[in-house]
Amino acid sequence: MPCHNYDIPTSRRGFLSRAGCGLGAVALAALMKEPVLGAASAVNPVLSQLPQRLGRAKNVIFCFMEGGPSHLDTFDYKPLLNKLAGQKLPPSFKEPVLAMGESGAPLMESKRTWKRYGKSGLLISDWFANVAEHADDLAVINSCASDGINHAGGVCQMNTGSIFGGRPSLGAWVNYGLGTENHNLPGFVVIKDSEGTVVNGVRNWGSGFMPAVYQGVEFNSDGVPIKYLDNPKGYTSAQQREKLDLLASLNQDYGKTRTDNTELEARIRSYELAYQMQAEAPTAVDLSKETAATKALYGMDKPETAVYGRNCLLARRLVENGVRFVQLYSGAGSKWDSHSKLEENHGRLCRAVDRPIAGLLSDLKQRGLLDETLVIWGGEFGRTPMSEQGGGRDHNPNGFTMWMAGGGVKGGQTIGATDELGLYAVKDRLHVHDLHSTILHLLGVDHTQLVFHQKGRPERIDQNEGHPYTKITG
Amino acid sequence: MMMKPTILIACLAATAASAADDAQRAAMKFFENEVRPVLANRCYECHAEKKQKGSLRLDNIAFITKGGDSGPALVAGDPDKSMIIEAIRYKDEDFEMPPKQKLPDKEIAILEKWVKLGAPWPEAEAARVTVNEFGFTEEDLKFWAFQPLTHPTPPDIKSPWIRNDVDKFVAQKHKALGLTPAPEADRHELVRRLYFNLHGLPPTLEQTQAFVNSKDPKAYEKLVDELLASPRYGERWAQHWLDLTRYAESDGYNQDAFRPAAWPYRDYVIKSLNEDKPYDQFVREQLAGDEIAPKDPSVLVATSYLRNPIYEYNQRDARGQYEVILTDMTDNAGELFLGLSFGCARCHDHKFDPILQKDYYRLRAFFTSVRWRDDQKLATDAEQAEFAKKQAKYEAATADIQAQIDAIIGPMIEGNVQRAYQRFQEDIRAMVDKKADEREPQDWQFSYFCERQMQYERERFDPLKSIKKPDDKARYLALTEELKKFDSLKPEPLVQAFIATDASTKGPPNLLKTRKGEADIQPGYLTLLEPKEPVIKPMEHSTGRRSALAAWITRPDNQLSTRVITNRVWHYLFGRGIVETPNDFGQLGEEPTHPELLDYLTQRFLAGGWSLKKLHREILLSATYRQTAHREVPAIAAKIDPSNKFLWRFNPRRLDAEQVRDAMLAASGELDLSEGGPSADGNGTRRSIYTIKKRNSQNELLRSLDAPAGFASTSERQSTTTPTQALLLLNGDWTLARAQKLASRVTDVKDIWEYTLGRPPTKKELTLAESFIAKRVAAPEDRPVPSPEELETANQFKENTPQERLVSSTTEKEGDDFTIEAIVKLESVDANASVRTIASRWNNGKDNVEAFGWALGVTGEKSRFKPRNLLLQLVGEDENSNITYEPIASDLRLELGVTYHVAVKVSCTAHTIAFQLQQVGKANAPLMTSVVPHTVRTGLSDGSSALVIGGVHRRAVPHQWDGLIEAARVVRGVLPDEELTTDLTKWKPPALLSWNAHEVLPTTLAWANAESSAPSADPRQRAMADLCHVLLNANEFFYLH
Repeated sequence: MPCHNYDIPTSRRGFLSRAGCGLGAVALAALMKEPVLGAASAVNPVLSQLPQRLGRAKNVIFCFMEGGPSHLDTFDYKPLLNKLAGQKLPPSFKEPVLAMGESGAPLMESKRTWKRYGKSGLLISDWFANVAEHADDLAVINSCASDGINHAGGVCQMNTGSIFGGRPSLGAWVNYGLGTENHNLPGFVVIKDSEGTVVNGVRNWGSGFMPAVYQGVEFNSDGVPIKYLDNPKGYTSAQQREKLDLLASLNQDYGKTRTDNTELEARIRSYELAYQMQAEAPTAVDLSKETAATKALYGMDKPETAVYGRNCLLARRLVENGVRFVQLYSGAGSKWDSHSKLEENHGRLCRAVDRPIAGLLSDLKQRGLLDETLVIWGGEFGRTPMSEQGGGRDHNPNGFTMWMAGGGVKGGQTIGATDELGLYAVKDRLHVHDLHSTILHLLGVDHTQLVFHQKGRPERIDQNEGHPYTKITG
Repeated sequence: MMMKPTILIACLAATAASAADDAQRAAMKFFENEVRPVLANRCYECHAEKKQKGSLRLDNIAFITKGGDSGPALVAGDPDKSMIIEAIRYKDEDFEMPPKQKLPDKEIAILEKWVKLGAPWPEAEAARVTVNEFGFTEEDLKFWAFQPLTHPTPPDIKSPWIRNDVDKFVAQKHKALGLTPAPEADRHELVRRLYFNLHGLPPTLEQTQAFVNSKDPKAYEKLVDELLASPRYGERWAQHWLDLTRYAESDGYNQDAFRPAAWPYRDYVIKSLNEDKPYDQFVREQLAGDEIAPKDPSVLVATSYLRNPIYEYNQRDARGQYEVILTDMTDNAGELFLGLSFGCARCHDHKFDPILQKDYYRLRAFFTSVRWRDDQKLATDAEQAEFAKKQAKYEAATADIQAQIDAIIGPMIEGNVQRAYQRFQEDIRAMVDKKADEREPQDWQFSYFCERQMQYERERFDPLKSIKKPDDKARYLALTEELKKFDSLKPEPLVQAFIATDASTKGPPNLLKTRKGEADIQPGYLTLLEPKEPVIKPMEHSTGRRSALAAWITRPDNQLSTRVITNRVWHYLFGRGIVETPNDFGQLGEEPTHPELLDYLTQRFLAGGWSLKKLHREILLSATYRQTAHREVPAIAAKIDPSNKFLWRFNPRRLDAEQVRDAMLAASGELDLSEGGPSADGNGTRRSIYTIKKRNSQNELLRSLDAPAGFASTSERQSTTTPTQALLLLNGDWTLARAQKLASRVTDVKDIWEYTLGRPPTKKELTLAESFIAKRVAAPEDRPVPSPEELETANQFKENTPQERLVSSTTEKEGDDFTIEAIVKLESVDANASVRTIASRWNNGKDNVEAFGWALGVTGEKSRFKPRNLLLQLVGEDENSNITYEPIASDLRLELGVTYHVAVKVSCTAHTIAFQLQQVGKANAPLMTSVVPHTVRTGLSDGSSALVIGGVHRRAVPHQWDGLIEAARVVRGVLPDEELTTDLTKWKPPALLSWNAHEVLPTTLAWANAESSAPSADPRQRAMADLCHVLLNANEFFYLH
């Protein structure tokens, strides 16, 4: 991998003096230690030092199909695969390292029917017939690639850029760069479609080496939106308020002779914000005001699409309420992982998400939000053309599909390509680092400028290896 | 490859020497008129002062010859060997410069000619940048951190404030800057600071009183000595070292497999610090304990340091895994011992620090021979011999039984092991097949991954699930019963070692690949400090490399390692180091605020025999340390030093995660101070250092307060404040329970202040607290008080009574196929979505191995499965070995106030749960049934929870049963329908748990209640608990300011 130069000043001091705050040590304290928890009017110190934003996207909704959806049966049509089905992988293809290690398994056909959709004529399988109606809004990237051969590495890399834990999640980077627009709600929200645990757990939406303020907060799709949002059992709101009032007056007295310690003030404010969040978060996720037609648009009227539909509708509401980055897991706990019975498993999951995601795209569009909301679809990797256990496919990080829509993306285009069997990305290969850089590009952020200084290293989302695919905007 | 730099220098010298020469003058003219314009126009946009793409600068001959990431750019006199020429000729598609367009032929010819001429450059300009033979500039060589340690004498400065030499250095800076020191902190402030700093705990009331009221003029000095001598000191300071070594008890990947044998390293660190083991010895043992004293378990355990990297055993990519581990070891050693971020130099020469890419590989070479091993015990030879003797006796006595057991299960296990083996690629399998004496180092290293997966198959084999034939199963059970009779002969198992050694006496290849080819890099130190490759003599079973590295790191004249540890001690005592970036002494770090003091203390530390405690003492006795933190910022300080770099007061600090948790437990009187051994759950009451530290599932409270997860070395804790943190502290169960406990030990409001803040309340605070309580007590209570009659009934389960849950102490496990049966009557469901529990083995967790278990219950009002649904929740592994939480709804609904017979058959073998529900005492009541498939395949009884009737493992009121449970049992295996009955006389053994409310409580069952941690029914008591809760949330509790 090439490693590029850093366009950054050569010391932390230099970095600060250029940060535009101009106060030396005070700025240092502000940037390095202080939680970015200011009032809504406060200027985001990171944003202010970034060049003029050019991208149109303001928010991101990332529909994460966890476990690895098959590109070969959804968005990457490979006629040769069906021709060679039952035979071994031709020797002209390099044998990949397989997660489950079933070597020599024959190629497996795709049982899907494919159609061209929209003016652009994108080829999409019947599993995504509803999303396909938005073909002219989709930029389908057929040449994605990752280093993660198993779920842990794949999901971690798709989220943080590294197959190992410890780095901030994409949503954290976006909030670090762009700041939040609503301080009563977290800037990065994660919603899962079941109680299943996403591979690697909460680390996927962690803030890594960044302050915790950037980490993703998990909302349940039903009931309490944030953990500990409810008063402890047996406490009324009035009692909670009394406690907070007493706490505030004790804290204020303590702070009176310690005014220089801004952390004390931040702590006082955090309790007030928590209290406001207790009031506001339930309203933001209260879907009772949504019409039956809207709910139906998302498939909430049908049992098989109700869960993901609800999450998609929540995502729209959160984005409307100033949440910067929403991640919607489908198949939490690697449910897309189809080492066997792909037909059955993918069939069910595609049915569960197709209508809701199509509804989300329609709804965002009709509300004029699609332009500023980037919608991303994909998983941690795709699947092999070779079969596994007869009816399944193994992991394929070497070539797979994701698509993006809205947020300034030029729709109706196909980007890159895999080989004739869909095993390796061969044209315009976009590694996860490139995808992350592209997403930041669409948000108007030059990924080489969005730097977090960590132990002497100017860290970037792409670990200095990504290139944005700028042609995505047409 | 690197060419000989001496030739270049000779050429340069030649050019300079013959400057007077005509030819030379012509050359200069050629350079200025032809060459420089081309370079400036075509190259400088990316390769000059502003940007250095590929780390290459072309605006001075010194930079050009030094080159960039790809090596020297120029061989003077030889255009064909010069990369700069290669690039502009556009010969290699991947290496074309300038990238956008090829230069005109004329310009190419100019540069070719220039190189051929020996690349002349104006002498004066060339002299401005001098680069030595390794490519280091003057600036690199002069950088403070690389300068040898000096021997500063304390400044000759007089002031009544000064207590020891440390203060003289600080006072000198004060004087120079016009700052004045803060007054000495009062004894309350000092005693809290010292206890938190050295022990991580608040002082008890008695400890505070003893110090505050002491008349002894040496009271402070004595307290320092007393605290340093206490075992609590090692427990606190070990936390710092464990942060730095990214210690954790799990692998860190998705599986995040538990490392049950990691804790002895934690105890080793605590013990070493308590014994004040000289730091040099401490370092040597961790890097090379296996080479120093392979037979001494107390030293060998230190190599567990080399086991801290993240890794996932459930992986086929053995080579990739080892590479990652090696990188992790190298990076950590660089940061931890040398305070430099070597990681940057893995792919290219460090951009800012004089660390060559080759230096990264030189450091890496010390670790390339490391072999992880799990085949050792932490025991002396004598202990091992003793064990072997007993084991042999046991095996001899049981050989016959064991052989019969093996005949049944042996082939099954072997089949599973073979399948694990087959999943690996052929080359790795070949390594596994090799005999020990045929193995090369890498055979050991890579085969480890496959062998561990094979071993895992042996460990996780579940005979009862795997044996299909009923006859075999019965015979197997009989044989294991037989085997149990010999348990008395079985020796106590030895402690498993989690250590590393070298694979052999040879180091495997350590290849540095660059555009120019690859080179096998030998061990070596930082070229800047020590260019020569050390001569390392192999030892009997080991390369001796890590001993050599340790010896270099612990040389008293190693200016990096010695300053780094001295600075760390200062950093942890003051909250900020003399160098503010303790893991980064490089260009991007901070420079020392008091460089002479750093060297002075480093020298004192070395003179004191590398004793950390002596260094502590020296610093702690200073007036600098004793300053108050409670000083408003003086005008001058606000102007020139608002962040207190020059110590005009003590730094205010927030307690870190472990201090907060331990202080809450200390306040509530629950702190469990038992020392050492396996870790405990963080929701319990042991000191935080002894709680389980899993990378992917950290304790919620500790994580929220910035405890690092253990993925990378952490030298400075963050101190973040978020609303979600406030929600956790305000609404979370754990903090609330501590408040209730605290309320139960105090007699009045004054006590609350003493226990939480170590001081009595002020008059105003007292008034505030009393009016808070008065208001609460006046308010009507909404909580019903249970009557004594209700308490008498043995079948009654009710929150906040002595009968909340029945907890079983049996160690037997129900496995993955079992039956639950109960007779129940429900009085209420939870107002939210929580499930009222009939029986469980579950701690409410969902994503870790401790949480493995199940819970049978009835859903609440807001459940997505609708209310009153009979529901089984499972946590275990699915067929892909992913940890899975799965709620299984029966869609059989219970009416409130009606008695039912409930039976549930769980079968992971059949992948189904069969539910039965039938009203009791009503003639012809229909038998409602449902069978639901599920995906959890294994692990249901492997969690850390006990079997519980009427609730879950950890007290959680919304999950508790509210109503009657007349009887309940849990039986291993799936019972046939005819054995399911409401006739309790037919409930025959064996059962793991069998309970009839109307019989005497079995000894294996005990009632659990809320004790005093439940919100008390007494309104005043409840108000006191709320007051305690407020104090545990107060800024003064969280801050030392």
